Amino acid sequence: MSAALELHGVTKVYPGGVRAVDEVDLALEPGEIHALCGENGAGKSTLAQIAAGKISPTGGRVSGADRVGLVHQHFELVGRLRVWENVVLGREPRRGARIDAAAARERVRELARSYGLDVDPDAIVETLPVGVAQRVEIMRELAREPRVLVLDEPTAVLAPVEIDALFRTLETLAARGTAILVITHKLAEVLAHAERVTVVRAGRVVMRSLVAETSIDAIAHAMVGGTIPALAERARTDVVPAFVARDVAAGDGAHALREATFEVRGGEIVGIAGVEGNGQTALADAIAGVLPYRGTMSLNGRTLETLGAGARIGAGVRSIPQDRQREALVLDWSIAENVALGDHDRAPLRRGIAIDRRAENALATRIVERFDVRTPSIRTRAGALSGGNQQKVVVGRTLSGAPVFVVAFQPTRGIDVGATALVQSRLIEARNAGVAVLLVSFELDEVLALADRILVMYRGSIAGSFERGAFDRARIGALMAGA
Amino acid sequence: MDSFAGFVSLSLVKATPLVFAALAGTICERAGILNIALEGALTVGAFAAVAVSFATGSPVLGLFAAVLAGIALCALLGIAATRFGVDQIVAGTGLNLLAAGGTAFGLVVVFGQPGASPEVHALGAGGEKALIVAAFVAAFVLQAVLDRTPWGLRVRACGENPRAVRSAGVDPRRVRVTATVVAGALAGIGGAFLSLGELDIYSDGMTAGRGFIALAAVIFGRWTPLGAAGAALAFGALSALQFVLQRAGVPSELMQALPYLAALAALTGIVGRARAPAADGVPLDERPAHIGRMAKGSVENRGD
Repeated sequence: MSAALELHGVTKVYPGGVRAVDEVDLALEPGEIHALCGENGAGKSTLAQIAAGKISPTGGRVSGADRVGLVHQHFELVGRLRVWENVVLGREPRRGARIDAAAARERVRELARSYGLDVDPDAIVETLPVGVAQRVEIMRELAREPRVLVLDEPTAVLAPVEIDALFRTLETLAARGTAILVITHKLAEVLAHAERVTVVRAGRVVMRSLVAETSIDAIAHAMVGGTIPALAERARTDVVPAFVARDVAAGDGAHALREATFEVRGGEIVGIAGVEGNGQTALADAIAGVLPYRGTMSLNGRTLETLGAGARIGAGVRSIPQDRQREALVLDWSIAENVALGDHDRAPLRRGIAIDRRAENALATRIVERFDVRTPSIRTRAGALSGGNQQKVVVGRTLSGAPVFVVAFQPTRGIDVGATALVQSRLIEARNAGVAVLLVSFELDEVLALADRILVMYRGSIAGSFERGAFDRARIGALMAGA
Repeated sequence: MDSFAGFVSLSLVKATPLVFAALAGTICERAGILNIALEGALTVGAFAAVAVSFATGSPVLGLFAAVLAGIALCALLGIAATRFGVDQIVAGTGLNLLAAGGTAFGLVVVFGQPGASPEVHALGAGGEKALIVAAFVAAFVLQAVLDRTPWGLRVRACGENPRAVRSAGVDPRRVRVTATVVAGALAGIGGAFLSLGELDIYSDGMTAGRGFIALAAVIFGRWTPLGAAGAALAFGALSALQFVLQRAGVPSELMQALPYLAALAALTGIVGRARAPAADGVPLDERPAHIGRMAKGSVENRGD
């Protein structure tokens, strides 16, 4: 059988000389589910874009790209339009000058029936749960009858049950002859559903195998190019309540925080497990003091309501924001200036009315060393650092400021395995030193690995609580999906 | 103002250029272009109409010239914003200055006198009525186009998330430029109404900020053609009311500020919540803020 998609010696060099993809050969057979694995920055997404004909390679040959559908990691849907409008956009069925809405709806229903994608054609996309929105994106691609479907990190935003439903759909598609390429860094999924696996590292293919003939360890080893660094040991600590939240509600709309009552004790990591968009952002913003809320919060018995965002930092409530580039760093500033941000108006960084540059430099140097920030100098622009190194600067700033309570929101999002291990280890060390840590992560594995206690968030409320030693993966997954 | 009928007809006359401009603004903003060059488009429309009527003796040709002039100016904005990545506000401001300076210079070149043109052949009472009717017909047509046609769907998608349009295989640059072309034609007619409909001359500064009032009408009308036309009609009535109230001693400056206060009220939620298209004024290569951060979308304006 001829391949549905073939890449021969494909190379992509970006202006500036970054070799994102280097001499990659890849062939997809009709009806197979093929996993493409690699760390962040290994070149997977670039490869997907090339395979789908969205960007052209600087070298090599691609055949079959005209029949490739691409399901994006961040859905490219129009939130305020209806499902059917999104599906037919660009290829609208017409009756005279108008769109034939009835035909479009029928098309959606037909796709829904034939692939088991349960979606209401008239729903407004932004009101849909993430898993359903993803079905809309898949449906839009299927409407073009592709021979190959490429999915970029499709499970990153899904709850475990939704992941199962997704793979059932993909298996249906594959059974009908569509070639499926799933880009992922979650290895358990690979082994459960794919037939073949290709691993890329630094733009090159470093491993090809039938899934049946390999193991998670072998794939992980190939991805990292060595063994994965071990995490810091968790020490026994004395726990006393540090942060207490009572009946906190914040924000409005589908992603609001509706009601949360919990405490985080010094010397423990409380993990918030949940799918993105279930109130975690409103919770973190309320704690940081940047979003108004109802209810009460206190830190070591001191009421926080009277404190603004800056005063909360001074009181020891410190955050690792979820979007380092938008909420944590000023990319055009140097590392040194960035580590001073937020602490610039108090000792030791402030001297009189000025910022003490020597203290700022000393702090930056300390963070660069302790958090292993790979940079030519502390004067380097934050924007010039890789994502992992940017994150180390953010985490370093948060943990170096004598924190009492740390909110770590997706602290390892989009960074490589080495940086992930370092960030996670530093969080554990902070916990060992008596800091109260609230870890919010959409990666259940991360919560399971780090937390002493897990709270599951669903639709803005806490749906369940688990103590370490009694973590029940299946039960947590079910609560995340609203069961 | 002697009778209610007189007040209504003056309201319609005052509203018509605003309706055309507000429809132009609506279609642009729904496609993701914040068109502050409407003021300039009204200006060049008004000028071109008079200049061509002066040269040919035909006010109808003048009207066509106004359409072309409006298109040229707005398309420049569309092209600058989509092809060359110029900031929409900067480009729009530049085009407004170009229109003001160009028409002031044009007065001297075409008519040999600064400040105002001589009287030319105007559209007359019949033409004026036809344009008034056309303005409101255009509102209904545009609403239907936006709601029911493939192009309308693409415009709406482009104003919300141009990346989705691109991944659907449609070039969002083209959609946005086409929207500015349609807008330019509408604003050009609005300008011609000012100079050849209401009057029979062009004078410097005769648009008097109507392009900006139209933008306020877009907001007050919640970014729909019918809403914007309704808002423009209300603002037209306000300006007709000025003549009545001025006699009663209410300062006209206060009345002139009312459209902006109304837009502010619409934005702050005093008169129901308004929610702008997510990618309104956002360059094509940028992700609208709510896309990357769906969770954050909840704390922003939500129009429900």
